[in-house]
Amino acid sequence: MNNVALAGNPNTGKTSLFNRLTGSYEYVGNWTGVTVEKKVGTLKNNGGYLVDLPGVYSLNPLSKDEGVATHYLLYDHISLILNIVDASQLERNLYLTLQLLEYGKPLAIGLNMIDVAKTRGIHIDDQCLAERLGCTVVPIVARTGAGCDDLANKLSSSVNQQAPLIIDYGRALEESIHQLISLLPDDQQLPPSRWLAIQLLEGNGLVRELLLKYISEPTLNECVEQAERNIKSETMSQSIAHHIRTIRGSYIQSLLEGCMRDTKKLAYTVTDRIDNIVTNRVLGLPIFLLFTYLIFKLTFDWLGTPLSDGLDYLITGPLTDIIHSLLSAAGATEFIEALILQGIVAGVGGVIVFVPQIFILFFMISFIEDSGYMARVAMVMDKIMESIGLNGKAFIPMIIGFGCNVPGIMAARTIEQPKERLLTIILTPLMSCSARLTVYSLFVGAFFKQNQALIVLSLYLLGIILALTLAKIFSSTILKQSSSFFVIELPPYRIPQLKTLFQSTWEKGKGFVRKAGTFIFGGSVVIWLMTYAGPSGLKVPMDESFLALIGGALAPIFNPIGFGNWQAGAALLTGFLAKEVVVSTMNIIYVAPDMHTLQGVMVDFFTPLSAYSFLAFILLYVPCLATVAAIKKETNSAKWTWFSVIYALIIAYIVSILIYQGGLLLGFH
Amino acid sequence: MYLTDIHQGEEVRITNTNRMNELVQRRLLDLGILEGSLVRIKHILPLGGPIAIETKGQLIGIRRRDARMIGVECI
Repeated sequence: MNNVALAGNPNTGKTSLFNRLTGSYEYVGNWTGVTVEKKVGTLKNNGGYLVDLPGVYSLNPLSKDEGVATHYLLYDHISLILNIVDASQLERNLYLTLQLLEYGKPLAIGLNMIDVAKTRGIHIDDQCLAERLGCTVVPIVARTGAGCDDLANKLSSSVNQQAPLIIDYGRALEESIHQLISLLPDDQQLPPSRWLAIQLLEGNGLVRELLLKYISEPTLNECVEQAERNIKSETMSQSIAHHIRTIRGSYIQSLLEGCMRDTKKLAYTVTDRIDNIVTNRVLGLPIFLLFTYLIFKLTFDWLGTPLSDGLDYLITGPLTDIIHSLLSAAGATEFIEALILQGIVAGVGGVIVFVPQIFILFFMISFIEDSGYMARVAMVMDKIMESIGLNGKAFIPMIIGFGCNVPGIMAARTIEQPKERLLTIILTPLMSCSARLTVYSLFVGAFFKQNQALIVLSLYLLGIILALTLAKIFSSTILKQSSSFFVIELPPYRIPQLKTLFQSTWEKGKGFVRKAGTFIFGGSVVIWLMTYAGPSGLKVPMDESFLALIGGALAPIFNPIGFGNWQAGAALLTGFLAKEVVVSTMNIIYVAPDMHTLQGVMVDFFTPLSAYSFLAFILLYVPCLATVAAIKKETNSAKWTWFSVIYALIIAYIVSILIYQGGLLLGFH
Repeated sequence: MYLTDIHQGEEVRITNTNRMNELVQRRLLDLGILEGSLVRIKHILPLGGPIAIETKGQLIGIRRRDARMIGVECI
């Protein structure tokens, strides 16, 4: 079976091309690090597999996601490499191409963004490039699909064995390269010896790990040190990596001579103008905050709430009536009817009504990702993040975490420093995700009708401020580190395509809809049964049900923070499954057919102050089940997973007690 | 003279990257920024925040602390 590896620099459109060639839909964006693990798809035309690797600048990895690509080249079988190259950044992109050609597998180049290059006045002769590199080169525009079919057809014909490219690195280095080659076994399973030797000398940690299986550590070190001495005495370079970079750089220069013509037309004018505003000394931060505020207004006040209200009316009105009459016609028992209407429709429907708001939020996040603003936000936030022991890049997982914490935690892989990465993973759950939004929406509708957007915004800010404060505390105590690291590429702005935006929104939002059909459906049935059954039998009054017993046992704990009733205890317990389940549980417990009735009933159990304390508790108390699983997977440590659950519980309790008791002292109720 | 000494918009040539943090140096090397490269400061963020530099048509954000370690000369 053909295994085609898709490799290229970050943010060059690999995933767009992957989607074109496999007909699937994966997550794309305009920032470095969208793809953090390899994805496999089936090629449309010949049934081979296409593997989308995270973007890398070179095969020598600095961060965890970059290691994925190198690891794949070292240990997996590849029949062809499809190297996607950004035509508007040809010189830099070819640096990786050279390393891939040295690797010696058949290679085809997709010369992407040829349209962008043209508008910047860069003319590339693809035939000339193909001849000089000795491989197929196809100009494409992955976003629109131009040239992609041509590329797909040429893939099947490019599988001929290709000899590795040999670049002369000069006497000083070649000696060590040859010495290393002689030490390596002649094993067909291994990548080419010369490539391994060069990568090792460059300082590639993963290659070193592999070579230590064959060469003893002292010999290996001696070899590298010898090369280092030679380089320092015989060349102008200060290190081997520097020397190799220089040689490859001039190789690329001579390669491009006659193949590429750069008329130096002013390229960045639009990007420049936008950047002058959004990264402005004075306006940068206020603009970011204003932008965030507008997103909230749109999600809650202007567009989201009217749509949710409409959906609520549809579900509780016509839909319930139809189900009711269908059930009666089918002769369903009273038990079945109650289970479906009071359990499933109330539980699942109560969550589904928030779909419009969640999709609007996801749409806005997709817009930020696709436009190129994300990298600027990281820039603007870097100084603040640095002062608390993180870097600006850590802000990206946090923003994604507003949609859902799970992809947010995954996005932390682009952070190079292990401790900064761990810190980001642990703190991302404090970012208020869309699932928690359902609970906020329900409560602000009942208790804070006048200031809905503001109250919700305050909860989001509470999460952010706590995350930043805790980052400072953790980074100066348990997660101390010596040096922080921040280098970020700022891609040119582009106007997001509507189609891509809708696809991204759906991709993020479908998980929410799926959850409603599985987790929340199942949860609703179980919760309803627990309210239906009690120690004294079935069909007991709600207050004597099993759920009331369990919730009641927890209630005293929540008394000091304002909601010591069994209903709140039960809702919080079930909320660990997924935070939307809190809404389902409340719908069932309070036997509310629709959102407005529920909001009316809740006034008997909460005051505005205890409601706010409850919302803060929901925000903080524990990451949901899926997030805990993601933390476990990403940190690979039970200790840190437990830590993230327990610290969250403690913080939640402290914050809620401060809000409630402090509020009482100040005369709120 | 160091990169932080030049004005926004002025183009200079890099003469020395040795004093930098090794990881930053390596990442810049990946991006083709090394001795001999021509760079220009495009934006300077407030409160000692990062700066955006332009080289070979790409825009890169780096911290001012790191920029202070990059030796440059006028051209």
